[in-house]
Amino acid sequence: MDFNTVLDYVLVALMGAVGSILANRGIAVFNDGLRPIMPEYFEGKIDRKELAATSFAVSFGLVIGMGIPVSIGTTVLLAHSILLTDDIIGTWTPDTKWGSAIAGGIGAIYGVALMLGLSSIVKLFNAMPVNFMPALSLLGTPILLAFAAFPALAVASQHGAKKGIITMGVTFVTWLVVSKFAIWKLANGTTIQLDPTGMALLVAMIMMIFFAAQVKSTGDSNTQLVNVFAERVSRIKHNWIWLSLMGGIITVAASQLFFAVGVLPQQLLVKGDVNGAIFATVARAIGFVPLVFSTAIVTGVYATAGTTLIFAIGMLLKGQPILAFVAGFAWMWIEVQALNVTAKGLDRFPGIRDMGEHIRTALSDTIAIALLIGSAMACSKMAGNVGYFWVIGWWLLNRKLKKPLVDLAVGPIAAIALGVLLNLLRVVGLF
Amino acid sequence: MTMVVVGGQMGKPEIEADLKKMLAGKNIDIEVKNDLDAALAVKSGQANYYIGACETGAGGALAMATALLGSEKTMTVASPTKVLSPDEIKEGFEKGKVAFGFTINSKDTVLPLLAELIANS
Repeated sequence: MDFNTVLDYVLVALMGAVGSILANRGIAVFNDGLRPIMPEYFEGKIDRKELAATSFAVSFGLVIGMGIPVSIGTTVLLAHSILLTDDIIGTWTPDTKWGSAIAGGIGAIYGVALMLGLSSIVKLFNAMPVNFMPALSLLGTPILLAFAAFPALAVASQHGAKKGIITMGVTFVTWLVVSKFAIWKLANGTTIQLDPTGMALLVAMIMMIFFAAQVKSTGDSNTQLVNVFAERVSRIKHNWIWLSLMGGIITVAASQLFFAVGVLPQQLLVKGDVNGAIFATVARAIGFVPLVFSTAIVTGVYATAGTTLIFAIGMLLKGQPILAFVAGFAWMWIEVQALNVTAKGLDRFPGIRDMGEHIRTALSDTIAIALLIGSAMACSKMAGNVGYFWVIGWWLLNRKLKKPLVDLAVGPIAAIALGVLLNLLRVVGLF
Repeated sequence: MTMVVVGGQMGKPEIEADLKKMLAGKNIDIEVKNDLDAALAVKSGQANYYIGACETGAGGALAMATALLGSEKTMTVASPTKVLSPDEIKEGFEKGKVAFGFTINSKDTVLPLLAELIANS
């Protein structure tokens, strides 16, 4: 094993261990839905068993229904597959010093086991009689460009269809102009070219933020929250060293390019588009800041990866683990200290606060459709036109199920299932 | 006059439209707000019920409501792991739950049940 592989295993072990300890001690949890339950436990309204049951209910479905399936067959782990499990491990272990130690141990074992399992699945898939790995790599193809459409969608749902259409048009024109004209030949023969997709996305995001910033108000709901829950905010600040430690570790993992937050950056990393992944991570983080901050302020429990901007910082510092650790450690400290100021600042721009939920929805819709089309392409590559039957059929059927999967996971799961099924059919001579 | 706020995150226009259809003629007001304002509206007594959807039925959908109202008032009706039965939803409703979250993909299953309970309350 080379140095980088060893480092990756050490990092997943640490993320499993420290993340579980953070959840065990109620310092931070990754699932935004679990965070508000934590104070109920601190105040004795619910017992440890109920807390454990809730954390399992809100996280487990996403670990096995999204985190792991989306990571299968790739070399980039989706943060959810580890950080959500940390929530479960941390709340299932006792609330004592020993409990924290046990949580850390189980978390570390889980992290390593997950990575070993996923990498052996890649090897297994590659060794199968019908090798569907090349077909599976088509899955992320539509996402590479399609994701630049999400700001237009977010603008449309926040400010009406007309502004959405304008944003879509400007995004396309930017892409066209940059890809045609932003190429410069230098005297020594090398050419410099701006990335058209990145520039289009940047312009679209600026428009989105511009529209949102126009909405002014004199509201003070965040300021009220900060004042009412001042004690809980200081609890987070008091725990800064643990949060910074986790921040540093996650940033190193991100700098190793094997750990991504959100399906979009993950798919972009799988395709080797690091700059795209950085853009996408920042865009996603902007969408989550209001939710993470307001739940953190009212609960005194922070998010395991903070605003998730550390993932972008990590990728910017790719291949420089030590620098990444220092930067991530420092950034988490800044985030925590700036909690009050940022939350109050959001009051002055209510449009920006509301923009968060439109971004989150627009992102998941865009990714879901892009992955649906990508999986249809992958399946048709594996099995011909019957691949379309398979993917579209399962996508539509999913919503009728008793426990429907998250939209964006349906395509990838269907594609992997078809690949495995084709191998079984080959064994019995039907394919 | 009963008032329902649609907070949470995903599919808000669709939830509003569905509710308006299901609750037509029942003298029930439906208003879309952001999660924080919607939760505050229930806390201050302006609104009677909160409904929200997201990918987990607990995060974007219900997090702020849980934080401000307490978990004895809130209920995840459908998560990716579990969709409550009509009886369980009814029991929660009768126990005084006022804020409900679900996964957006289970909207068609659970929203009619919630609308019926609210209409008969």
